[in-house]
Amino acid sequence: MKVLLYGRLTESIGRQLQLEAAEGCSVAELRRRLADAHPSAAGHLGRSRALIGGSVVADERRVRADEEVEFLPPVSGG
Amino acid sequence: MSVVANLEPHALDPQLELAELTEQARGDGALVTFVGLARPESRNGEAVDALVLDHHPTLTRQSLEHIAVACAERFDVSHIRVVHRCGTIPAGEPIVFAGASSIHRRAAFDAADYLMDRLKTEAVFWKREVGDGGAKWIEPTEADFADRDRWG
Repeated sequence: MKVLLYGRLTESIGRQLQLEAAEGCSVAELRRRLADAHPSAAGHLGRSRALIGGSVVADERRVRADEEVEFLPPVSGG
Repeated sequence: MSVVANLEPHALDPQLELAELTEQARGDGALVTFVGLARPESRNGEAVDALVLDHHPTLTRQSLEHIAVACAERFDVSHIRVVHRCGTIPAGEPIVFAGASSIHRRAAFDAADYLMDRLKTEAVFWKREVGDGGAKWIEPTEADFADRDRWG
């Protein structure tokens, strides 16, 4: 699955990742996996909203392999 | 009534935006505009070369539109125009234009004030200041949130 990141998360993880995640893994599992791989981003990942298809999703949401997950940290404003 | 909310990846020309809004506002009696500039200095007094605004491909524009429409619905205004930069903005260059026109001045003043208070806290951007000391991410201040909360 494809993972897109914004703001501070791009600094430690990058703009996008292609992950070989197990079919049906939850957003929470994905968040944990990213945090384990990028410990310096763990705090910001915890405070980030997860979006699929442009809508905010709960951590329990299961993710299909063909879906794109976005993690948005709190915004800075303009 | 018109509401314009644009995300500008290149240079923002406040004179051009003012000219567009003035043309639209011919039937009005008041036009109030605000132009925000990228500061050359951080809150800590460090030199800043540029402000870099990361944005989301759809949600950022939507947030600008949402704020502009809410403003148009709230105040007795005729025209709203918001143009916000994204990308790298060198210090001293315009980052945002917010304007409103109305029959009488109070609505236009309030609308411009409201636009900026909400843009400063809710627009979907992730900002960082870049200077000799490296890059520093910026978040809204308590004062920014207090300003926004004045509007309920």
